[in-house]
Amino acid sequence: MTIAAFRGEWFKLVRRPAIWITAGLLVALVVVVGYLITYLVATHPPQGAHQAGADIAALRAGLYPAALVRKSLDNASTLDGIFALIVGVLAQGSEYSWQTLKTANTQLPGRIALLIGRMLAVSVLMLLLVLSIFALDGLVAYLLALADGASAALPPASEILKGIGADWLIFEVMAMLGFGLATLFRQSAMAIGLGLAYSLLVENLLFGLLESLGTAFKQIHDLLPIANANHLQQSFGQVSSVVGFTVVSSGEIDVARAVLVLVAWTAVLAVGSAALTRFRDIT
Amino acid sequence: MTDSKREGHRPATDNVVEARNLTKRYRGGVLAVQGLDLTVRRGEVYGFLGPNGAGKSTTLRMLAGLSRPTAGHASVAGASPGTPQSLARVGVLIEAPAFWPYLSGRDNLRLLARYCRLPDRRVGVVLEEVEMSDRANRPVGNYSTGMKQRLGVAAALLKDPELLILDEPTSGLDPQGMAEFRELITRLGQGQRTVLLSSHLLDEVEQVCTRVGVINRGRMVAEGNLDEIRGGTRIVIRAEPAAKALAVLVELLGDRVEVGPDGAFILRVESDRTAEITQRLVSAGVGVTEVRSVERSLEDVFMELTGRESGA
Repeated sequence: MTIAAFRGEWFKLVRRPAIWITAGLLVALVVVVGYLITYLVATHPPQGAHQAGADIAALRAGLYPAALVRKSLDNASTLDGIFALIVGVLAQGSEYSWQTLKTANTQLPGRIALLIGRMLAVSVLMLLLVLSIFALDGLVAYLLALADGASAALPPASEILKGIGADWLIFEVMAMLGFGLATLFRQSAMAIGLGLAYSLLVENLLFGLLESLGTAFKQIHDLLPIANANHLQQSFGQVSSVVGFTVVSSGEIDVARAVLVLVAWTAVLAVGSAALTRFRDIT
Repeated sequence: MTDSKREGHRPATDNVVEARNLTKRYRGGVLAVQGLDLTVRRGEVYGFLGPNGAGKSTTLRMLAGLSRPTAGHASVAGASPGTPQSLARVGVLIEAPAFWPYLSGRDNLRLLARYCRLPDRRVGVVLEEVEMSDRANRPVGNYSTGMKQRLGVAAALLKDPELLILDEPTSGLDPQGMAEFRELITRLGQGQRTVLLSSHLLDEVEQVCTRVGVINRGRMVAEGNLDEIRGGTRIVIRAEPAAKALAVLVELLGDRVEVGPDGAFILRVESDRTAEITQRLVSAGVGVTEVRSVERSLEDVFMELTGRESGA
């Protein structure tokens, strides 16, 4: 039944224009913010800016294929993660807005099988997005290296695979956050609003300030999803700052713990959504 | 699903829907359905009648597995509502049909076919059945109400279900659309298929249903075939002198005699006794000035049942 549900969910997910617009915007932003703007800054340093020659060289080197994994994960928990959250919200929230849950749930699979099928479809879409980002980043990095006459050597395959896995996990937890909020509020608008507020304000800003007040806040923050997504992406190398977002520094990074916390959050959000779906009436 | 396959799954009982003491209380204390008993027999077109807000949709939502009863239980096609065993044999159209607006009508059905592990050719069959084949490739977002209703019925038919649950399927249609839809429902209800049709349109129910249940304020206030619900035919007689006529009629028919507000005698007997009754009156020296047979309409009964119950 779950396979039948997955086939149905995938059928409608890949035919939905909003999904492709969101995915297209994400991929475009990844290239524009991650590569083009950085390349412009590296090749034309702003006047008056104090940029040591070594820093500019490092910035430029960060755009070549050798830095592919680090670069692709650069904005995973912030910019990319927000798009993943929106996809998660759209996949579930629109079913409430269109009242199509009643149409789907009077067909064969049953409530939980249908929900699992939808979550699986979103997971596969997240993997495709991550693969697209890595492929596009790789292509742009290769072209830039070619243009600068720099080395076009990629990192080891194992490193790339680990990077893809980490990026997928971060996308997954963000998508499930959106999915869970949409299930809780039975709509898209509130889920997107609260999801964005949580991602940008609560974890990155509020906890950033609270941590300075005591270690208890730091300990709480270390249990939250975006903090651990940051830890995981930083484990692949120091990330560069992105305009508009503050990336929290984590000091010593425990990768295994970060992975565990992210997996746990994904599971909690999935089980929570399932419980709400199982016990609530379908409106 | 073929008939033979469906046959293999059939339960021993001949009741496709059995609900006992079905109750639904919403958060906030609103009692939408209370202690409802409902039986729908195999092969019949059952009309579920009630005024707006009587609890029809809530009842059907429980039977489709979309809502859970607060108390009581139901069996739909031999299984608990909402379970895969029940859903496999039930087609549902509850309230306004809801579809994915960016998909065409055909793609909406193809999606539902995937959920049910049905081949795509089944989509073509049901589109033919509701006469939507030529309009099925347009996005559902551009459909009229009537087209959406037809697509909703097509979706309900996809599994070739033994039970169709249709909740006010003609709601929002123009008169021509309603007439076409009634024909469609009559056609769908032929053969072995059972149809549970909710409506507040009495002429619609009268035309297509074989048995009806009337719900008011969440309670079933009457259930039976159309003749039982209407209470059979009546004979109306005017005769003089009235006192002598009443004595003869009471002697003959007992408590089946009523006197109407205009002085006419209303006799709750079949019309084939008209000659016998007239002869007795004339033999007793009573002058009979009018004799006619009348049939109470479903509307009369409905108004009586729901008006009285709701205190109107």
